[in-house]
Amino acid sequence: MRPVLLAAARTAAGLVLAVPLAAQQVPTTPPAPMPLTPAQFPPFAETVLANGMRLIVVASQKQPVVSLTLAVPAGAFYDAAGKAGTAEMVAGLLTKGAGDRTAEQIAATIEGVGGSLSASAGADFLTVSAAVLGNDRPLAFSLVADAVLRPTFPASEIELLRTQTLSALALAKSQPEAIAQRAFARGLYGDHPYGRAADEASVKAITRDDLVAFHQARVRPNQALLVVAGAIDTLEARQLAEQAFGAWGGVAGAAPVTRPAPQRARSEILLVHRPGSVQSNIIVGNTTWMATDARGYALTIANQILGGASDSRLFQILREQKGWTYGAYSGVDRRRGLGAFSATAEVRTEVTDSALVELLAQVRRMGAEAPPADEFERQRQTLVGRFPLQVETADAVAAQVATARLLGLANDYVQTYRQRLAAVTAAQAQAAARQGMRADGALIVVVGDAAKVAERLRAIAPLTVVDVDGKPLATEDLGPRAIALDLDRARLAPVSDSFAVLVQGNTFGYQVGALERDGDGWVYRERSQLATIASQTTEVRMGADLAMRAVTQSGRLQGQEMRLSVAYAGGTASGEGVTPGPAGMAPVKYDGAAVPAGSVDDNAVLALLPYLRWAAGAKLQLSVFESGKGVAQVRTFEVVGEETVTVPMGTVETFRVQMSGADQPAVYWIEKAAAHRVIKFGPGTQPIEFARVR
Amino acid sequence: MSRVRSLGLLLALAAPLAAQAPSRVKVESFTLPNGLKVHVVEDHSSQVVAVDLWYDVGSRNERAGRTGFAHLFEHMMFQGSAHVQKAEHGQLVERAGGQLNGSTQPDRTNYYEVLPSNRLNLALWLEADRMRSLAVTEENLRNQQEAVKEERRLRFDNQPYFGAIIDSLPTMFDAGTCFAYAHSIIGSMDDLNAAKVADVKAFFDLYYTPNNATLVVVGDVQPAQVRQLVTQYFGGIPRGATPPAVACAAQAATGREAVKRITDANANLPAVVTTYRVVPPAHADYPALELLSTIIGSGESSRLNRTLVREAKVAVAAQTLFNPFGPMRGAGVFGALVIGNQGVTADSLRGQLAAQLRVAAEGITAAELTKAKNNWRASTIFGRQTALATAEAVHYATMFLGSPEAINSDAARYEAVTLADLRRVAATYLRPDNSLTIVIVPEAK
Repeated sequence: MRPVLLAAARTAAGLVLAVPLAAQQVPTTPPAPMPLTPAQFPPFAETVLANGMRLIVVASQKQPVVSLTLAVPAGAFYDAAGKAGTAEMVAGLLTKGAGDRTAEQIAATIEGVGGSLSASAGADFLTVSAAVLGNDRPLAFSLVADAVLRPTFPASEIELLRTQTLSALALAKSQPEAIAQRAFARGLYGDHPYGRAADEASVKAITRDDLVAFHQARVRPNQALLVVAGAIDTLEARQLAEQAFGAWGGVAGAAPVTRPAPQRARSEILLVHRPGSVQSNIIVGNTTWMATDARGYALTIANQILGGASDSRLFQILREQKGWTYGAYSGVDRRRGLGAFSATAEVRTEVTDSALVELLAQVRRMGAEAPPADEFERQRQTLVGRFPLQVETADAVAAQVATARLLGLANDYVQTYRQRLAAVTAAQAQAAARQGMRADGALIVVVGDAAKVAERLRAIAPLTVVDVDGKPLATEDLGPRAIALDLDRARLAPVSDSFAVLVQGNTFGYQVGALERDGDGWVYRERSQLATIASQTTEVRMGADLAMRAVTQSGRLQGQEMRLSVAYAGGTASGEGVTPGPAGMAPVKYDGAAVPAGSVDDNAVLALLPYLRWAAGAKLQLSVFESGKGVAQVRTFEVVGEETVTVPMGTVETFRVQMSGADQPAVYWIEKAAAHRVIKFGPGTQPIEFARVR
Repeated sequence: MSRVRSLGLLLALAAPLAAQAPSRVKVESFTLPNGLKVHVVEDHSSQVVAVDLWYDVGSRNERAGRTGFAHLFEHMMFQGSAHVQKAEHGQLVERAGGQLNGSTQPDRTNYYEVLPSNRLNLALWLEADRMRSLAVTEENLRNQQEAVKEERRLRFDNQPYFGAIIDSLPTMFDAGTCFAYAHSIIGSMDDLNAAKVADVKAFFDLYYTPNNATLVVVGDVQPAQVRQLVTQYFGGIPRGATPPAVACAAQAATGREAVKRITDANANLPAVVTTYRVVPPAHADYPALELLSTIIGSGESSRLNRTLVREAKVAVAAQTLFNPFGPMRGAGVFGALVIGNQGVTADSLRGQLAAQLRVAAEGITAAELTKAKNNWRASTIFGRQTALATAEAVHYATMFLGSPEAINSDAARYEAVTLADLRRVAATYLRPDNSLTIVIVPEAK
């Protein structure tokens, strides 16, 4: 602290006379709010053009800027079955060639005036936005109209966007939050369109014709909303809108009839197995109501009390009191169709069940008892009090009006929102929570190491275990366990192989391996190099019966050293080194980790795959010890088809084999002929593969 | 294209085009007897108020052995004060429907709250309480030392290029005659570890005084009420000593080109940064330099992106850096950063960047200058839409241009820049003997 006496003395000596009396009276507690004239929602104008497009204008001369946002109900909801991702790709392409401009020309045009232009698609709507200085407003109308009415869908831009989309999907499979959200949406909405999500197959299946047809059918004016905000008057905005969009015709068909989302009479757990995960991502939730449901106001307050902020119950209990998690929140997802409630937490693996029990208890409590008056009042005030910041700019006002219109809310929704929120009682919040937060009819998604958490979660609710692709796993697929190493040892002989590392068909590196005799046993040596990004040398020593003996490995990944040395003995392994993890290089050290009988070091899997007993439809399992982490797991190799594959070595008839059970799935193409050589392999989702050279 | 013209014609008939300039900002100013300077902008277009307090202290005030201290201190400002518990500052503001933050630059440290305008009193009370009575404890210091070290690891040390750039770029200034700007804001790990509670207290007493602070209040307020509340809450805080002036001798051309080679373990592609010593914002050449920076390397259609990324395909990214760590009253940085493609050597990249900077400086077209002026104007106007952004602009005008009124006159300096000005400043400042080039090489794999 500052020396108070000294401060007082200084004040007394020099300043007391100069300072007005008021300066002496500083409150010791935060001052109470001053009066605030209840603000009206800012005015806006609303008209409908002849073609059915609705126009909203929020005029503000505060600064000479104008923004345009055009929204149409053409979101992912309208994707055809098997073509999920269409709406998102259509949106991405609208600014990549439109009217008589190429993608480069569009960028140069908008940058030339210091403006911005973008397009995106969400669950319900496709949106195109532009922001410019006032003088450039005709250009903004012109660019948005080009994007919406006259996109050219150039083939090269389609392929570029497809590659980017596939990369993003592949990345998402390694991110537990993304895995959880995806599994939650699928489980919550089932066969309802909100349950669908783009995947590798659907993105690859989308053709230019699909994109053009989607644009033609869905991007139509009859349900479109154009919001113009800023330094423009209503009359001019209307003239510009008619000029730019008047010729836009056609009618988007009615929304497809949808399958209902599943109803749950009791809670159930969907556990997504992520072997070796040190955290569990939990989502608990249920579907709620249409956006227009009057209970929405009360549910909004109930949600704020439960988990809307850092002083809400979930954060205070799960993080501050228990220390189980970095954050815990809840939210209400309002959509044009059926909405949802969800609560989330990311917790340490060991406390997964405790955290889930507490989370469910807090959700249940919201419906079981009315919130105490002071807590209710504080959180209601937080929500009501935010209003001024939410309408500070014309853009912010426009966004709120647009949301209300797009969701089909009452005409006076934006004007009466605060009063309706302020009128909610604690009893109403409790009632809304009882109906809208169903702890006993919830879908519970947990992404984590099922081998460690499955049994304890089973005590909480019925449990289904799936892998990251959503395929069901049996209990015996989860944990490490002894599996007899069933190899065709008669075929064992010194052999070497060589793979090229291809990224989108271009060679970026190589991997060579050799299995050789080593005294009474065998040794597998492997070298790999991926451009300047990674290099690695590995040596796995095995006994005559192929029991693991030792592993030494060294290399560099993005400039950082990695190394590993492992010794196997008597059903255990001890290892030490530095290996890549989710947060960069991390030291690893384990002593006497259990290794189930029959286990293969993960570095030797590639060398031993040819000796498994491959056949059409075969589903083979290996107990694998992942020596970079010191954990055992069961990997399943399933022959899912037959393919003729061409690699630098030649054209080969293969089994297509899907591997699961590791952190990341993989696909192998194994030669059908008796040598069963590995012809090609890769993660299956990324544009990278290892293709056999010899 | 015909449609664009017809729309333009329609407009020309409908409404004469208004001048594209930010709305004029009217600033009312007063100073408390204890030296606290206050600027108020009354704006009733929304029920929002921004309370933005700048202390005239930043990394430039640090001494050798205590680099990173100003930023570490900024963290301490959220650890509680006489009447506010640790973390309570944020809770009070959020519960009132508001937002808050703080940040550190070479020349200043800022703290702000944006609130519904009837909570003006809460923001002023919170800022006054910590200016009067910050809780400087051993425990808080240790906590925040760890937090800042984690921040350094997360944001810089574990990222390609950033660590090399933040530590090396300041060495373009001579540590002997201008230590102020010759070190990073985040500071070194050793210096962060060395900070003592006594240092924190001394820093607070010297720099966190009303006479070393400027308060800007923008929004739905009555200036008389601001004056009354500010006087009530801040008036009793004693004036402090005048902090010592910061010495930074003019950093002239050295007569030789400096080159630093750095091996970066996080990088897997080579990168080159070339920086030139330029001038502070108040200098007459500053607008031309900033526009030149935009033309050469800002946006997809800039010179560097067009030539090095799209045409020659030697780079994955290329852009200019203009005062990347914030404006400075005693110096300026004009730089360019290029990250090379696979297979391009760092030295070849360095040569190509140097060539582009030479060519660009000579051959700017009138269209490019117009585009850069449009960009400056647009980003200034877009950046004036909220109360907080306007408050920051008033502060910038006051600290870097000498008067809050400069918020209204600065645009004219940019509009007046000519092609001849661009050629002149390029010839004056973008000279090899006025530069530092940092060549970042991925660690050998």
